[in-house]
Amino acid sequence: MHYIRTTILTLLGLTALAVMAFGGRSVESHKGQVVVTYWEKWTGKEAEQMQQIVNDFNQSVGQQKGIYVQYLSMSSVDQKTLVATAAGVPPDIAGLWNSQVAQFATINAVEPLDDLAAAHGITASYYKPVYWEGCRFNGHLWALISTPATIALHYNKRLMLERADSLRKAGLDPNRPPRTLDELDRYAQALDMVEKTPNGQKRIKSAGYLPMEPSWMLTYIPYWFGNKLFDEKTQKLTLTDPDIVRAFEWVKSYSVRLGKDSMTEFTNGFGQFASPQNPFLVGNVVMTLQGPWTANYVEDLKPSMNRWKFPKEKEKGMSVEERRKNYEWGAAPFPSAVPGLTDVSYASFDTLMIPRGAKHKQEAFEFIAYVNRQDVMEKLNSLHCKNSPLSQVSEQFIRNHPNPYISVFEELARSKNARGVPPMPIWPEVADELGVVAQRVYLLQAEPKEALQDAQNRLQEKYETFLERQRLRAKS
Amino acid sequence: MVFTLIPVVLSLYYSVCDYSLLQPPAYIGGANYHELLDDPIFRKSLTNTLLYAIIALPAGLMVSLGLALLLNVKVAGQTFYRTVIFLPSLVPTVASAMLWMWLFNAKLGLINTVLDWLPFRLLIAGINAILGLVHLPQIETPIGWLTNPAWALPALAFMSFWGVGHTVVIYLAGLQDVPSELLESAEIDGAGMTRRLWHVTLPMLSPVIFFNLIMAIIGTLQVFAIPYIMTGGGPARATYFFTMYLYDNAFRYLKMGYASAMAWIQLLIILALTAIAFWSSRKWVYYQGK
Repeated sequence: MHYIRTTILTLLGLTALAVMAFGGRSVESHKGQVVVTYWEKWTGKEAEQMQQIVNDFNQSVGQQKGIYVQYLSMSSVDQKTLVATAAGVPPDIAGLWNSQVAQFATINAVEPLDDLAAAHGITASYYKPVYWEGCRFNGHLWALISTPATIALHYNKRLMLERADSLRKAGLDPNRPPRTLDELDRYAQALDMVEKTPNGQKRIKSAGYLPMEPSWMLTYIPYWFGNKLFDEKTQKLTLTDPDIVRAFEWVKSYSVRLGKDSMTEFTNGFGQFASPQNPFLVGNVVMTLQGPWTANYVEDLKPSMNRWKFPKEKEKGMSVEERRKNYEWGAAPFPSAVPGLTDVSYASFDTLMIPRGAKHKQEAFEFIAYVNRQDVMEKLNSLHCKNSPLSQVSEQFIRNHPNPYISVFEELARSKNARGVPPMPIWPEVADELGVVAQRVYLLQAEPKEALQDAQNRLQEKYETFLERQRLRAKS
Repeated sequence: MVFTLIPVVLSLYYSVCDYSLLQPPAYIGGANYHELLDDPIFRKSLTNTLLYAIIALPAGLMVSLGLALLLNVKVAGQTFYRTVIFLPSLVPTVASAMLWMWLFNAKLGLINTVLDWLPFRLLIAGINAILGLVHLPQIETPIGWLTNPAWALPALAFMSFWGVGHTVVIYLAGLQDVPSELLESAEIDGAGMTRRLWHVTLPMLSPVIFFNLIMAIIGTLQVFAIPYIMTGGGPARATYFFTMYLYDNAFRYLKMGYASAMAWIQLLIILALTAIAFWSSRKWVYYQGK
């Protein structure tokens, strides 16, 4: 017994020593190539799809140039990247979020990419402006894009036809989506299905539209009211501007019309977005504000919605217009509250950045540039079911994309009224606060003006303190 | 020791610095502490945490003590009951959180389904009648356990009983140490069950109660994972706890200095409450042989 224990402990000790002595080196000398470590946020299917791109690179450009990309998907990739960077052992590429470009750039967590991008011929004209600007901060380029998106109104065509009588009674066309915000409200009201319970309470069976579904879009609702949330020139947040107050008054109007308690009771039964209980998929809401990825989620969770009229196989060779007829849902620009302000959208994206102190910057950028090649970008974004960030888009991309409405998202991405996150380093904190403002408003806990004033005072002060400390830091 | 002491000392230094992890710490004196005093979110998170502790701590101690006393009774299937009570403590935190999210679901959850049964409906109607008499808000059904700001925090406190298994086991071990001769003498002297419990069992168990109290103070004031998963601090920050705000400042807003200052305030609060508990223990904790 004693011998067995001693043997096991000795073996374990030797293994540990071997890992410490040779573990790192064996990775570095992968087939004599430079190993580029790439940390990414995605899990599941999306992680596998990016793995395909990595494999393609390793078998083509990687082999030619002696680069091997080692791909690792993980949760909390931003925090792990930061800690690893602080410890001096960062990955060579980190897949982060657009809201972190200014934040990470300000604290020198990432390397500027201006020279590397220029050397590869990647300039402003290569990208759609909203995405290029989103990758820049303080006059430098800090990131390039892996997958972008814009968001649009999704509407359930089948349910609109089923409730056509109500729509017609309200003077609305059941065969098209609303085109103005006022019309959206009228569509929503006509599509609501509300019943009275025996004790006289209002019970919502299905809602035409709810601004708080999904709640993560509420932060950007002011864009459709003509406000940018932040004035770059004066470096002031604009949360108390009349446009933003009006935006949150609009959010509140749904709680008032439907009844806060009835609405809360109704939304309590909603499942998560990536679940079969997704309220849009089960018909709890007829219209929703979502991104192009919806088509993939529908395909996975309720494929019948993507096969309304005929089997999927028949779609091959059909035009986009014909394909659209096979989908129970449609997508259109979310209507704006301001007359003449068209094609408004929030443009989000996933970034590829090189953390400060990365050992293989040149090689890392070879991979980033590869992902940004038009054919590769279109493959990745077809797999992820998103639009392209590039100014040039092939006809095949639009025709064969799993989302037959991808041209809607492409047009929104090209629009001058598409906006990314405001370029401020404390944006994650501002976004959280705006989320709380929205909750206070739709729970009727506070008047929009009051909630926004609270947020403005607190956040502007925080931002000024932040700027002041950065100035002092720069001086010293 | 080194791996604990160095971060502790460094965090004290960072608490007086502007520090974002990747820029060198810049000394700013007491500015972080000063800023915290003016921060309404800091105050809100602290209030929520203390409120949670006020509900969860005494209730948790009483529930676990009650369960331990019941499980100490020699009845058939005692081991089975002990296993059943301990079992939830073994369920991973995330799995427990997901399970309770469904239990608390206002529309489809088991808790509201049970509350919709006639006896409970009558009970709620009775409570509402009393609340009406004293002009207090009525209980509206179905209860939005995690979506109504008024119910979310009590719901999380209630859920904390799910993990009392460990505390129950400690109480059970303590109960085995209660001298049987004392209980027998008290019984011979005519003491009933309640008096034996109050005058013999509880005093003999007081060191164990004291230990569990200290652990509960530390645990409840550091509540994080369950609300982070179940509510994310919502609705409208009703369940936004101190440690969640600390975490957000450190890892989402990258304000390590501010977060370090929060950590030190948290430590001081826990130390103060523990010191009060130690001071009061002289009056109610009895050690055998002293």
